[in-house]
Amino acid sequence: MTAVQAALSGALIGGLYALMAAGLSVTWGALRVINLAHFGLILVGAYLTYQLTTAWGIDPVLTLLVSAPVLFVAGAALQWAYDRLNIVEFNSLLVSFGLLMITIELTTQVWTADFRHIDAGENPYGTSAVHLGSIALPISRLVALGFAVLLIGGGHLVLERTFAGRGLRAFAQDRTVAASFGIDHRRLGMVVGGLAGVSAAVAGMVFALGNTIAPAHAYEWFGTVFAVVILGGIGNLLGSLFAGLGVGAFSAVVAVLWDPSYEPFVLFLAIILALVLRPKGLFTRRAAA
Amino acid sequence: MLEVRGVDARYGDAQALWGVDLEVAPAETVCIVGPNGAGKTTLVQTIAGLHRAAAGTITVDGVDIAALPGHRVCDHGVATVPEGRRVFGHMTVRDNLLLGAYRPKARAAHRETEAQVYDLFPRLKERARQHAGSLSGGEQQMLALGRALMALPRLLLLDEPSLGLAPVIVDEVFDAIAAVTATGVGVLLVEQDVERALSAASRGYLLIEGRIAAAGPTADLRDRADVRERVLGM
Ligand SMILES: Nc1ncnc2c1ncn2[C@@H]1O[C@H](COP(=O)(O)OP(=O)(O)OP(=O)(O)O)[C@@H](O)[C@H]1O
Ligand SMILES: [Mg+2]
Repeated sequence: MTAVQAALSGALIGGLYALMAAGLSVTWGALRVINLAHFGLILVGAYLTYQLTTAWGIDPVLTLLVSAPVLFVAGAALQWAYDRLNIVEFNSLLVSFGLLMITIELTTQVWTADFRHIDAGENPYGTSAVHLGSIALPISRLVALGFAVLLIGGGHLVLERTFAGRGLRAFAQDRTVAASFGIDHRRLGMVVGGLAGVSAAVAGMVFALGNTIAPAHAYEWFGTVFAVVILGGIGNLLGSLFAGLGVGAFSAVVAVLWDPSYEPFVLFLAIILALVLRPKGLFTRRAAA
Repeated sequence: MLEVRGVDARYGDAQALWGVDLEVAPAETVCIVGPNGAGKTTLVQTIAGLHRAAAGTITVDGVDIAALPGHRVCDHGVATVPEGRRVFGHMTVRDNLLLGAYRPKARAAHRETEAQVYDLFPRLKERARQHAGSLSGGEQQMLALGRALMALPRLLLLDEPSLGLAPVIVDEVFDAIAAVTATGVGVLLVEQDVERALSAASRGYLLIEGRIAAAGPTADLRDRADVRERVLGM
């Protein structure tokens, strides 16, 4: 594989990273909750897609009709609980890590620690690819990218153009002043938490399309997804999309040009460098404030 | 329209307000003057519902708002220009204004109100797409005032609008406050610049150590020995 090929297919994996990062980034940026349990929601989303596809033989994408509402409720309930118990920032890291371990344990109870994958017969996206010259782009990854652009682009427009979006941005900056203009932090927090849950459902579904699923995956996502959130700028949705694509492409190129085992090392070295040069993320506008 | 009766406020064990009584009528500018740490900001925040009153009632047009959560008070026609302006620096000027019109009633009228705010402060229109954080102090003060007006208030609470501004800018801000009062809005003005406060308002209260120490028409207050001594430094 050439570097160009690697960069392209790596960027496509980045669509998945971006989907995983978006929800984490928004709840962190706007609600000051670092919700590691988000990885648990993604895992549950992946299993729900697997389970429903296997049981009912429906198109994996259609499983979102069930998993998205379920995880909306789960995400909203999580934010409600964090808010009630006044869990923010550092505390949220500890508490949500506990919740993540519990979720992983529960998924292991239900689906065992074995690798699961959607049968080829039920997964029209699993094995096919689009060929661009000599480059094969797996359909499952194109679907991931499509959903990432749709969801993150849509979320960005809502944040920029609607009253609710402005309310959320204002709330992220100054809760007291936002409240004085009628922003109800509890309700807004639950809606945002719920939407993060929906993004987890989509990320999980997309993951299940192209990968085998096991509970331990939730830990493996950590490093890369955190890197994407931080590089994109905490709370910056478009940033997480670009950072996801960038990190995906960069890792793939490193793996091809050098050695796959260098990938994490070089990636995190690059991230540290990038953050030294742009402490607020690569894609944060330089606004005076 | 605003009636504050016997309001106490505390921060933990420390009491900051003691039995405060005051009222503001529509189309009236009322000022609160007092030394640093007297409790002026606490009073504004308590009326705005951002700090819970420990005792007393706060009624707006007959409705007691003292126990409401902060985000519900604006529905009763109360808007605040907070101490230090506190505009949303990462948002554009226009988004700051629109945020002011967050609640349904104000939202329904946001186009007209926005045009009125731009008439009052043409500078904000020129800078509509700029980030609020890049504005000068005076422009930020105009924005904080404009944002509050977007909420269609019947009562406007202003906490030290002249703080850190050049005199010409302060003139402009006070002209705007007078224009707002003329439209029938009641204004409660907390101000460091006592001379200016007394000339902008028709009535005033002297707040000292959390208690109302004097009250009356500003012309009378100006002549009182305790006001001259405690806040005018004469
Ligand atoms: N968040 C807080 N926690 C504890 N005490 C506070 C807090 N905010 C204010 N205080 C205290 O309450 C009293 C009144 O403060 P407040 O800010 O209301 O005074 P102020 O009249 O607005 O003063 P200034 O002229 O400096 O703005 C002061 O003694 C202050 O130290
Ligand atoms: Mg003050």
